Amino acid sequence: MKDILRLSLPLSVWIAAFSGVYGLEGVVCSDRGAGAGLGLGQGRAVLVVAWVVAIAVQVGLIFGLRTPRFASAQPWVQRVSMILACVALVATVWSLLPVVTTSLCL
Amino acid sequence: MTDKPRLTALRLHKALYPIWRNDPGWKGILTTVNNNTIGGMFIMGATGMFLVGGILAMLIRAQLASPNSAFMGPEVYNQIFTMHGTIMMFLFAIPFFEALTIILLPGMLGTRDLAFPRLGAFAFWCYMIGSTSMIVALLAGVAPDGGWFMYPPLSSSAYSPGINTDIWLLGISFIEISAISAAVEIVVSVLRYRAAGMSLDKLPIFAWYMLVVAVMILTAFPPMILGSLILELERAFDMPFFQAEHGGDSLLWQHLFWLFGHPEVYIIFLPAAGVVSMILPVMARTTLLGYGWVVTAAISLAVLSFGLWVHHMFTTGIPHMGLAFFSAVSTLVAVPTGVQIFAWIGTLWKGRPELHLPMLWILGFFVTFVMGGLTGVMVAMVPFDWQAHDTYFVVAHLHYVLIGGYVFPMIAGVYYWLPVLSGRKRFFRMGETAFWLVMVGFHGTFLLLHWAGLLGMRRRVDTIEAGSGWELINLLASISGFILAIGFALVVLDVAVNAVVAVRCRRNPWNAGTLEWATPIPGPAYNVASIPVISSRYPLYDNPDLPVQIARGEGFLGTPIRNRRETLAVSVSRAEPEFIAVFPHNSIIPFAMAVVTSIVFLAPVFKWWWLMFAAAAGVTVLALCWVWQGGSRQDEGLLDAGRGLSLPTHAEVPYPPGWWGTLFLLLANSVLFGSLLFGYAFLWTVAPNWPPPAILQPGFWGPVLAIGGGAFASGGIRLADRAIRNEGASWLGLLASLAGLAGLGAGAWTIFAGTTYNAHAYDATLWVIAGYVTFHAGLAGLMVLFLTARIQAGFISARRCGDARVVQLWIDYAVLVAGLGLGAAWLPGWLP
Repeated sequence: MKDILRLSLPLSVWIAAFSGVYGLEGVVCSDRGAGAGLGLGQGRAVLVVAWVVAIAVQVGLIFGLRTPRFASAQPWVQRVSMILACVALVATVWSLLPVVTTSLCL
Repeated sequence: MTDKPRLTALRLHKALYPIWRNDPGWKGILTTVNNNTIGGMFIMGATGMFLVGGILAMLIRAQLASPNSAFMGPEVYNQIFTMHGTIMMFLFAIPFFEALTIILLPGMLGTRDLAFPRLGAFAFWCYMIGSTSMIVALLAGVAPDGGWFMYPPLSSSAYSPGINTDIWLLGISFIEISAISAAVEIVVSVLRYRAAGMSLDKLPIFAWYMLVVAVMILTAFPPMILGSLILELERAFDMPFFQAEHGGDSLLWQHLFWLFGHPEVYIIFLPAAGVVSMILPVMARTTLLGYGWVVTAAISLAVLSFGLWVHHMFTTGIPHMGLAFFSAVSTLVAVPTGVQIFAWIGTLWKGRPELHLPMLWILGFFVTFVMGGLTGVMVAMVPFDWQAHDTYFVVAHLHYVLIGGYVFPMIAGVYYWLPVLSGRKRFFRMGETAFWLVMVGFHGTFLLLHWAGLLGMRRRVDTIEAGSGWELINLLASISGFILAIGFALVVLDVAVNAVVAVRCRRNPWNAGTLEWATPIPGPAYNVASIPVISSRYPLYDNPDLPVQIARGEGFLGTPIRNRRETLAVSVSRAEPEFIAVFPHNSIIPFAMAVVTSIVFLAPVFKWWWLMFAAAAGVTVLALCWVWQGGSRQDEGLLDAGRGLSLPTHAEVPYPPGWWGTLFLLLANSVLFGSLLFGYAFLWTVAPNWPPPAILQPGFWGPVLAIGGGAFASGGIRLADRAIRNEGASWLGLLASLAGLAGLGAGAWTIFAGTTYNAHAYDATLWVIAGYVTFHAGLAGLMVLFLTARIQAGFISARRCGDARVVQLWIDYAVLVAGLGLGAAWLPGWLP
């Protein structure tokens, strides 16, 4: 079962981060966010920090899955889990890139 | 360990057949739990639904063939197009691939049946009863009429009075129980029920795809089940989840629906991709190129598809950044799709392809699906989608993806596995004619409809105006549509005739390398006479004598000395033999349970609440009978599994199959709960008329009861488990656990006392959260009582402690959701 976790963890972390950042954007742009004194500048800063943390976690997973402690004993699982971790990193960078390229709350 | 002389293949068959066969006569249909019988009935049911959905499509095309058509009025037309979409998505596409999987998977994996045979039977009967109810509603003129995605406020009681919408909400929720049951069965089967040596890198590629798809079903369906249930609560009790004037928001439905709806597209596509990945290498007389990459692509597609749901909501006014997130993922998802297509092209390149009929359908799939994929990338672009949204361009795109990407490969699969399903190989040659009729008809219909969409023709219009410029396109599309229908009818006729009267064929007529071709055809009730040991992805290429060795009983469990249904369970990763799984015998309980469960869902349509509660009590009693029959009252120790190996039975391992099934059922359950918390946060953040007029104050006793109850419940069951393993008295732990669960329920009850269920969306949401927690505390309490009875009856011992582990899972889950749910409910009251 640990091998199934190795294969599924990086992309599961991506979907959690993706949903989290989308939810955070909803809070930043909502009347409740404005009511709590969250300005657009602070809002974007929060989103960028969340994006950077998500990328850092994915990089950590790539390194983690290479260590003897967490790597699978099966070479095939080791290779496929590493590819999936790279996919998750690319997905994190690409899908959340709009936090630095797109207008907020328009 | 016994060393019995080996039986010959015929003697072994004669020994196994009486153990595994169905009951004789009509009774056998109702009591069967055999995968071949259930899968066969499932396929026939799903094909019947395909024909009904096709007839409805022809009615739609007849209506739109000429301007200002009086063929049917808008009321009837609304029911027709709603039922066409509903039938094709819920009653044909998903059940059909599940049926194929139920039939093929045991043979492919080299095992004797799927993990939970009674659950498979239950899934089938739920499907049959649910789909029959929908068809009866159609014939009675009360079919759903709000479109297959049933958006509120159109589907609210104000704009859709009557029972049409209720039939959809409750009927589809009921049918989704079938899909989830089958998904649990498929996941556990692929992970634990395989040939020895079939490690993860040697799984047949179809099994990988189905593992991924089954997990997707478990995680995608619950948001929609939740949405359906709360929309029904709004319609029945005026709980205003989607009413803006009371703090609700109709966009919540769209989020919940598309959280299901977009992964659904991939849930339908991935099994078809699995079929292509199985057939293509055989047709090209080679092996699949890039097996690891294809697995990677399937997993990536599955997860990425959960980040796409908002691309169905680009026109709802969501801020640009939110749209950009989903547009980015919509482009990204094309990459793993492309990886698969290049792997298939590479496979053709390295092999020597032969153009048999299955291959013809796969070529049709390639052309059509790639075109559908390209228009998919077009609608993934926000500015284009703003123009094309809700037009016939989208209708044409989705038919390219669903018919080209699903129906064509499935037809290829049916022709390819026809010998396995029927024991016969195609003799009559209508198939080629049917293929070309379908191709011409399909592209003639839907290529043209892209054009109609670009010219502004909106989907779901019941008639077209004269002079609109859409008349000729629609006339040609309707003529092509009838050609398409004739083509599909010929396919069904061709398959039926060949399956019944064509000549019988030898085993493995395609010279394939996977294990489903190692059994006699059609597959016997026990599928494999013994469980083989394999060492590659294509065991029949390595060892052409393997079918004979299996039939002679030279694998595991090749001597049925215990006269019961047994198979081998292996470790997840390396597929090392771990225990002997003992299957249940034929039983009427799955059928009875499906009938009574259907009453739970259908009684509320007519507001017969007393009947719903009576049926729920009936389901509880039947579920207890179901579980009571499993297990053993004595320790059996290590038993001979063949090939010199001794193993325990599933009753004597700490984590039996039931524990695994529970784990994945709770995965689905947790997604439903997560969707509920998402809905609560969404309404709080986005919906108008918030904050609510009054915030619930947590008080003192509610939190104390919940925290104390959680500690007692979780600690108590662990105490009981330890006592069972040490052969001590477990009553103290069980009592503590029961008291703790009562405390949890009481803690949740304080929410009911502090709010009014229909005052505001806030109150309504808290009622659902508290109801969810109360239900799970009650369910876990019932399980503790059941476990106590099992201990008294002698089913539990230090070796047979699996039941206690299952109950522990449920209790831990109840405690977890109580902590999260009640915490979320009380949090605003704690904040200053």
